[in-house]
Amino acid sequence: MLAQIMSSVFTTVFLASVLRITTPILFAALASAVSERAGVANIGLEGIMMIAALSGVLFSAWSQSAFIGVLGAGMMGVLVGLMMGFFYLKLGTDIILAGIAVNMLGGGGTIFFLFILTGQRGTSAAVLSRMVPALEMPFLEGIPVLGAFARQSILTYVALLCVLLVYILFYKTPLGLKIRAVGENPNAASSVGMSVNKVSYIALGLSGFLAGLGGAYMSMFAAMGFSANMVAGRGFIALAAQTMGRGEPLGTLLSSLLFGAADALSNHMQGTGLPSQLVATLPYLITIIGLSMYTWRTIKKAKRIRKRHSEPANSGEES
Amino acid sequence: MNSDRMLELKFSLLRGAVAILISIGVAAIFIFTVSETPWDALYQLIISPFGNTRQMWNILERMIPLLFTGLAVCVMFSAKQFNLAAEGCVMLGAFVSALIAIYVSMPMGIHPVVAILAGAIVCGLVMLIPSLLQTKFGASVLVSTLMLNFIIQFVIQYFLVHVFADRTQGALMTERFQPTAIIPFIRFETNWGLAVGLVMVVLVSLFLYRTRWGYAIRMVGLNKEFSAYSGMKVAGVIILCQVIGGLLAGMGGGIEMLGYFDRFRWRLLPGYGWNGITIAILAKNNPILVPFAAFFLAYLSRGSMNMAIRTDMPFEMLEIIQAAIFLFFAAEHLMAKTRQKMVVKKAKQEMQSAAKGVDETC
Repeated sequence: MLAQIMSSVFTTVFLASVLRITTPILFAALASAVSERAGVANIGLEGIMMIAALSGVLFSAWSQSAFIGVLGAGMMGVLVGLMMGFFYLKLGTDIILAGIAVNMLGGGGTIFFLFILTGQRGTSAAVLSRMVPALEMPFLEGIPVLGAFARQSILTYVALLCVLLVYILFYKTPLGLKIRAVGENPNAASSVGMSVNKVSYIALGLSGFLAGLGGAYMSMFAAMGFSANMVAGRGFIALAAQTMGRGEPLGTLLSSLLFGAADALSNHMQGTGLPSQLVATLPYLITIIGLSMYTWRTIKKAKRIRKRHSEPANSGEES
Repeated sequence: MNSDRMLELKFSLLRGAVAILISIGVAAIFIFTVSETPWDALYQLIISPFGNTRQMWNILERMIPLLFTGLAVCVMFSAKQFNLAAEGCVMLGAFVSALIAIYVSMPMGIHPVVAILAGAIVCGLVMLIPSLLQTKFGASVLVSTLMLNFIIQFVIQYFLVHVFADRTQGALMTERFQPTAIIPFIRFETNWGLAVGLVMVVLVSLFLYRTRWGYAIRMVGLNKEFSAYSGMKVAGVIILCQVIGGLLAGMGGGIEMLGYFDRFRWRLLPGYGWNGITIAILAKNNPILVPFAAFFLAYLSRGSMNMAIRTDMPFEMLEIIQAAIFLFFAAEHLMAKTRQKMVVKKAKQEMQSAAKGVDETC
């Protein structure tokens, strides 16, 4: 059985499914990175993705354009992000609690809005929404690794592009410098004249936009339309991916790929006779283990560095 | 000093009332824009839960699991541990209790107690995982407990489907609980779990405010660095509060299962854990206030249910109200200007009376 699993892992089919599954996680993880680097822990990603998934369906059905649908999903993400910012920065609501509230809106609220806007219960099957097209590149099909890219959604490329864009934002633009400064030390940032609130608002808005694209991918490519609880914890997994990637764009990409691979593996193993419910726990289990191992390593490294720094000082005292 | 505290209390009551009014106002706006019979919907939501004795007992019945998850979250949030596994613990506690209710034979009276305690203990032990990962490896308890909820759900699904399913039934469920394990009713569908819950409210309040460990938990929540500096075992406190939280949530799950159902048939997380967070926010992490917050949420839940059954508004309206409560009730700066005015007014009064006093002595 292990051989069967191993042989199915190293195929372009598997690689393609990793890319497909990673895309929404990557969007949300980048969203998490942008807000985290500005010092705002955005745990409402799950809810934003759900709200955006519904918005994407509704906007695309209304305009009969996939592009408007995706844009609408992104803008709705921005709105929710700014709303969180308003409560956090203006009204002093704890950001974690604001995030949980957004997740509630994403869970029950989306069902509510779907019902009052379309009369549908739980799924948008009867709503004629548009799908995001795949970028067909049949000439890649036979090539080993590149073959995985033959039929990916346009949004997958957008996500990969976003990794680069977020990198440029963080390290090559004045705004990125401000975001990092505010995240590292808001007092220092405000003492040199930066508006901490403005930077936090921008970061939350951007974060909402990215998570919104992830939501659009869920309902406009991964599935045909919206259904209740369709994001199924991806927003939370993205949070873990960002933590493991230390909020760095490249690290976030790699850890998102790791979680995507775990999820894809669990899908592939369902054909091997292993109980599907236990296999379904794999991505969550790997998240916990990966996160613990990663943070443990950082703590150990920090201790080692402290030791190294303190040793010469100690020997100096002795002599 | 005492009058300052009175002022604070008065203000927080005022702000709480405003936050709740805003939340209900948000609900009313939705009802009036969407519903074709808005007045009826509003009546069902707000008045009907108090319509007759049976409805009132129903509120008390819906309160039972909320009491336990509310207390669980209170204890964990008192130490500022954002452990979100109450949700998973309710399901796990209910599942373990259900298994004991089905497969172990015991005399009446002892059976439910053993079943519920077993569920609670398993949950307390499971809470060691995120709290140890946090204290030993530094893994965020927020992330690990969110993951843990999903793991618990899928593992229970596995056991339900592959091991404990009653094959004679069309839908997925376990066999029937033994009659000895059922928690008896007080009246209508309200079981004695309510009394247990209220006792736990008193116990948890005494624990948090009258014991050394409770003090340590609250101190760690106020200032972790200071607590460590003053010699408290911070890691132990962090583990303790989460284990207690797990025990309480698991107990709530067991009581809900043996008091309200006759077979285990949950396939998904039941949602009481998230409600517990709403309650902890409403009660400001003070266990004594948990029954009031739980009653309020149970009342809203009952009202939403009546509204969904009898009008064209969906039940999920409740989540919108809850989210609004979340955002506004936890808003520290809400009505900051009013507070400022109240404080200034009082200070002026004091100055005037002090000046008068000076005049008189002259």
